Amino acid sequence: MLWITGLGAESAMARDFYRVVPAEVSLQGNFERAQLLVQQVNREGIASPESEDLTHQATYTSSDPSVVTVDAQGQLLAAGSGQAMIRVKYKRWRSDVTVTVDGLVDEPEIEFVKQVSPVIAKHGCNMGACHASQHGKGGFILSVFGFDPGKDRRNIVQDRLQRRVDFIRPENSLLLLKPTLAVAHGGGMRLKKDSVDYRVLLAWLRSGAPAQEGEPLEVTGLQVTPSMRVGRPGMKQQLRVEAQYSDGSVRDVTALARYDSMDEGMLVVDEDGLMTVQDAGQGPVMVRFEGQAAIVTVSIPYRESVDLSGWINNNFVDELAARKFEDLGIEPSGICDDATFIRRAYLDTIGGQPTPAEIRVFLESDDPQKRTQLVDRLLGLSGDPKKDIYNDRYAAFWTLKWSDLIRNNSNDLGEQGMWAMHNWVRESFRVNKPFSDFVRELVTAKGSIYMNGPANYFRVNSNATELTEATTQLFMGIRLECAKCHHHPFEKYSQADYYGIAAFFARVGTKGSEEFGLFGRESVVVVKNTGDVNHPRTGKKMEPTPLDGEPSNHELDRRIPFAEWLTSTENTWFASSIANRYVRYLLGRGLVEPVDDMRSTNPATNPELLEALTRHFVESEFDLKQLMRVIMISRLYQLDSQPTAENVGAHRFYPYYRAKRLGAEPLLDAVDFATGMPTKFKNLPQGTRAIELPDAEYPNYFLNTFAKPRRVSVCECERTPDENLAQALHTLNGDILSTKIADTGGRIAKLLEQEKAAGEMIEEIYLATVCRIPSEEELQACLKIIEESSSPKEGYEDLMWALINSKDFLYVK
Amino acid sequence: MMRNVLFPLAVVVLVASPAAAQISYPMIMSLEPVAAQVGQVSTHTVRSRYSMFGAYDVLVSGDGVTGKIIPPEMTEEEKAKKPELVTMQVEFTVAPGAMPGVRDFRIATPHGASTIGQLVIGREEVVRESGDNNTADKATAVPAPATICGAIESAEDVDYFKFTAAEGEGLSFHVRCMRLQDRIHDLQQHADPMITIRTAAGATIAAMDNYYAGDPYLAHTFKQAGEYLLEIRDVRYQGNTYWQYSIEVSRRAHVTNAFPMAVNPGKSAALELIGFQCGGTQPVVYQVPAEMSPGPQWVILEVGAELTNPTPVVVTRQALVQEAGAENGSLETAQPATLPGGINGRIEKEADIDYFAFEARKGQQVTIDVVARRHQSMLDSHLRVLDSEGKELVASDDFKVGKRNYADSRVENWSVPADGTYLVEIRDLHLRGGDEFVYFIDLTLSTPHFFLQSDTDKTQLTPGTSGVMFVRIDRKNGFAGEVQLEVEGMGEGVTASCGRILAGRNDGCIIFHAAPDAPMQMRNVRISGTGTVGEGDSEKVMTVEADYYQETYMPGGGRNHFPVEAHSVSVGEPADLLAVRLSTNELTIKPGESIKIDVEIERAEGFDKNVTLDVLYQHLGTVYGDSLPEGISMDANNSKTLLTGDTARGHITIIASDKAPVAENQQVAVMAHVSLNFVMKATYSSMPLKITVKPSGEAVEASAESK
Repeated sequence: MLWITGLGAESAMARDFYRVVPAEVSLQGNFERAQLLVQQVNREGIASPESEDLTHQATYTSSDPSVVTVDAQGQLLAAGSGQAMIRVKYKRWRSDVTVTVDGLVDEPEIEFVKQVSPVIAKHGCNMGACHASQHGKGGFILSVFGFDPGKDRRNIVQDRLQRRVDFIRPENSLLLLKPTLAVAHGGGMRLKKDSVDYRVLLAWLRSGAPAQEGEPLEVTGLQVTPSMRVGRPGMKQQLRVEAQYSDGSVRDVTALARYDSMDEGMLVVDEDGLMTVQDAGQGPVMVRFEGQAAIVTVSIPYRESVDLSGWINNNFVDELAARKFEDLGIEPSGICDDATFIRRAYLDTIGGQPTPAEIRVFLESDDPQKRTQLVDRLLGLSGDPKKDIYNDRYAAFWTLKWSDLIRNNSNDLGEQGMWAMHNWVRESFRVNKPFSDFVRELVTAKGSIYMNGPANYFRVNSNATELTEATTQLFMGIRLECAKCHHHPFEKYSQADYYGIAAFFARVGTKGSEEFGLFGRESVVVVKNTGDVNHPRTGKKMEPTPLDGEPSNHELDRRIPFAEWLTSTENTWFASSIANRYVRYLLGRGLVEPVDDMRSTNPATNPELLEALTRHFVESEFDLKQLMRVIMISRLYQLDSQPTAENVGAHRFYPYYRAKRLGAEPLLDAVDFATGMPTKFKNLPQGTRAIELPDAEYPNYFLNTFAKPRRVSVCECERTPDENLAQALHTLNGDILSTKIADTGGRIAKLLEQEKAAGEMIEEIYLATVCRIPSEEELQACLKIIEESSSPKEGYEDLMWALINSKDFLYVK
Repeated sequence: MMRNVLFPLAVVVLVASPAAAQISYPMIMSLEPVAAQVGQVSTHTVRSRYSMFGAYDVLVSGDGVTGKIIPPEMTEEEKAKKPELVTMQVEFTVAPGAMPGVRDFRIATPHGASTIGQLVIGREEVVRESGDNNTADKATAVPAPATICGAIESAEDVDYFKFTAAEGEGLSFHVRCMRLQDRIHDLQQHADPMITIRTAAGATIAAMDNYYAGDPYLAHTFKQAGEYLLEIRDVRYQGNTYWQYSIEVSRRAHVTNAFPMAVNPGKSAALELIGFQCGGTQPVVYQVPAEMSPGPQWVILEVGAELTNPTPVVVTRQALVQEAGAENGSLETAQPATLPGGINGRIEKEADIDYFAFEARKGQQVTIDVVARRHQSMLDSHLRVLDSEGKELVASDDFKVGKRNYADSRVENWSVPADGTYLVEIRDLHLRGGDEFVYFIDLTLSTPHFFLQSDTDKTQLTPGTSGVMFVRIDRKNGFAGEVQLEVEGMGEGVTASCGRILAGRNDGCIIFHAAPDAPMQMRNVRISGTGTVGEGDSEKVMTVEADYYQETYMPGGGRNHFPVEAHSVSVGEPADLLAVRLSTNELTIKPGESIKIDVEIERAEGFDKNVTLDVLYQHLGTVYGDSLPEGISMDANNSKTLLTGDTARGHITIIASDKAPVAENQQVAVMAHVSLNFVMKATYSSMPLKITVKPSGEAVEASAESK
């Protein structure tokens, strides 16, 4: 695209500088349109994200409406072959844009794919909720987002005895009467009569509704102008969209593109591409056209300026977070206290609370590096075997997390298979195996399902499509399943991309084995010599091809090149998706949310931070502990969880630590620890923690109520973070908690046996539950409760019950 | 009681002993401790299902280990009641030079020979778990090295042991548990043990689930001196009182494999020992005894002054070539080999593929056999034969040896299409590789031969009665001839009538008979078969010893087999049937005829349960033994095979199809099954019935009632 400034003589005298984009326009063929933008620029004629958009304030005049017309919004429409000038005026500034129109004819031949299909898509006819639903609407079925144009045309022209078209009186075709509401239409008014889009369809019908001839041009990319805006609430911005086609041509498709705000609370966008900002924040607008998607990022600072003088960067995480704070005018909360930090760090790394003794030691230490040292100890990075004592708990906790995601469960795998997988995952985390190795071992696993744990991945996911969807979602953060049936709605991925990945897994099978004896039922995952996947629409045999890559194969195991590509340092999907997940695990929210839906149209809230964490992860050779460490020692991680009135709405940028509800298993462990009454789990020895549970489902009311995942989905969302009434009632009124608290073998009973003073008792109970020493005010209130209770025992039990029901206990704060 | 609970669920015993109705032969369930030390005499507890009362002998496989029953202390009055004795003390004496490893043993009782039990022979002191050692703080203190014995006796059982290691000390931990359970006849769920080594504070420093099948083995060098914990559990936290284990904790070399794998008898071989503390990379010279039998063998080697654990080698008389480094990884760089000949090789690293080239002539029949996984190599071989252009001609992944499947590859009887150079390509199916991925390829010109498989592992007799065992043939490379069965090693008062496997048929039988005055006894016998293989100049007489299989019953009741080391014949006390008599023991029949044979059973006094007759050895519709000549069968509609109540007489009708070929004096057993419960049976046999089939036109001397 050619960018030139359109400064006229008058404008030179003006105080501000403006330009029209583009400076020249060429329109090829009937019904072609183009959007002009009027932008504020600097003295050099360059626009910045802060540049004001004046498109809708300017006025437009065509020198020859028989060649080109222009509306008040700056949209041009080809009217006849020739050349004309558009005069653009804003206040005293004016500029002329030359428009060349060519190729217009009286009876145009309309191309189905290039002209008709986009009109159908623009008006939502081929959405899943409309005619692209499984059975269509009113018997009229279209392919989702027009991924099968040949079929769409047949359904319009030939289906139901051609009832949708009338070639004698084309304007009487149902294709036009329905969306214009000339006859009843369940989808309501979709198309204005005599609009340009109406006329496109009418012209196509008049020319006999021809099928696409030859291979249509493909849209290979979109360019949206501007791609980034910074402003303030109330700001408006007209977008301009150009599509690049496979022959290198460029076409203005502003009028045909679809627009969606990804944060409607912050900004809205209309069907013509005009954005209106409602509130402060940062949000993208998604622009889609013919299988391609792009975004525009809009940043609206919360405040004009912010004072970060007290902010000290511990590392690059803080540096990049602070930059975002500055850009958006966000003042972060202060640093959390030590008691909060030790509980947070323990729960986030090893899924369990510190003991009262550990808390006391930490609180009493005046070592300025004690937080970093604690992180290192919890992660087993201190280098001192006597300090690195949490490795098994770390491994257990993260095994739980990843076992949920890779869906390790005995329903699918049997007991031995489930345990083999569990032990492999746990050992991998225990030795801090590079995550790239972990994934490579998983996606190329073969052999005995008992002797080689990761081989069970190919039983949980038993066919090429399941493996495709699970693997891309888990390790690239890409939800590719849409592309199984049609072009991805929010991405550029097509069925060819989907089945190109699936082809890597097409030859995985199993064979029997008797190595585990006649009763062993061992199965061995093998790679077969044959097996392919075919494109469901074209029937073409698919070559194994990575996303955006060239076909790659291996004679003996196609998964080898896939694994190499997947875990390559060049594959930023891999590293960034994992970095993003760990940001979520530690900071409560991913830089991209959902964490397994990373795509160009769902950008990170702080792309620079995600990029830096990704780089760090790659440079550390995919060391998860180093990734966790760099986040946990940052100031950002150590912020207080209490937001300020000013930053409360800016949570996506981490101005305060986002409190997280404890998951079912750590919560039950915390209850067990606080009460001193461990839960006994079926088929596991006494003393097994909930975070150590290897399987998906246990007959445990507490875990099931608090939403322990059944491991039926690779989505993080299976572990729902939302609380519900049953959970509240269970901790408030359930007998599990009350029984544990009152048990004669429990913590309170043991403390009473030691005949500790009331103050000491209360402090112990506080430390065992909310991991802190009570304030003087709290202490006095507790003493009063004890005193007023029918017995001290009952009083202490009530206190523990109250603390366990408090947010300080139920949340990582 | 136990039988009533368990057997309806799963266990079926088709051929039990004629020793006693409704009281089965004892099934050994466990041995405690499961290990004994070389050079020591030790007392062990055998636990069984069904009574071992009156047990009088112990048979142990191999050399150097003997066993004897320690009679329980009992008054005569107690003995007279013949109590249900399911716990028995046994003393094993292990010679100093006895080969370590696993031995089969059986207990001889008045109800017949027991099923097989297994005993681990180790070099280290045997120590046992004691008391409640289910948590780290209650760990049983053990020395290291030692052979630790215990049981994962119940669900959620975790056993802890504590031991001391010096700085830099290397110890190997070799568990035998799951592998000891395949031969336990009536153990429907098997252990999958897992071990973990922890610091005294409980931090994991090493863990292993499966190495030798479901049994773990790991070796660890301790960086710091101190006390450590050894934890063992079932990986699923399941348990069973019969899940006995031994953990050999050793400082000695633990050899997993030797390279080269195959050696020639009478020659010395320089073996690279692969494993833990094997003395570096210097090969160990092994002088292969000239008399050593060809096939997979276990040998003890010397590393310095120490003896290794049994090391797997293959003894072969084939001329051997050894893979020379890793340069044979392509068609172009294939290493020359000869046909016939043996190849020693190794898949050294991941994705390694080895090629060997050999010359062959059109029409030659070639067999290529890989010995690897079945003899402790880590290799799961995948074999292909290619032409000189690299085109695949034939391929093999797994194959069946006898009744069992193995991960090794075998191409049998491949016909060479043209004179030329051919290539053998071998790799790991899973593209793994490493020192332990050794293999031996036996490249032979296919010659007709055969294998024999016995069904089952024991024949139970009572005085004056007969019992039958069947032998099935696995014919190779076109061998279709007849095989005469033979048996050696029977005891006093026991005789055998050895039948044949007829040409073109699969089964033959041996009918054992105990004289009325035969003493109680149990002997391991040798079953073999002799046939003439080949044609013309290559014709030769071949005698093959049978492979012995113990029947095993699958969850759900299906019948299966597991290899054991010997077949035993025992004579016990008289039981339900005292005889099975036929109206004739010789039958001559012509095509299209049917002949009725009267069968009379002699019931023991008071025995009035149902008895069924059969000439086929079958279970749930599957025939496991059929020694009838071709075209001969029993006409069930015209036979009375169910003898109810106190009925003693029945009959069977033998019919010959119109196309029944000629046969002479083929030995058949008429079996009488006594039901023990709805799935278990004890089987008695008649004396041999010899069936002759004559051509239609030939006169037949009446030997039975014919129609």
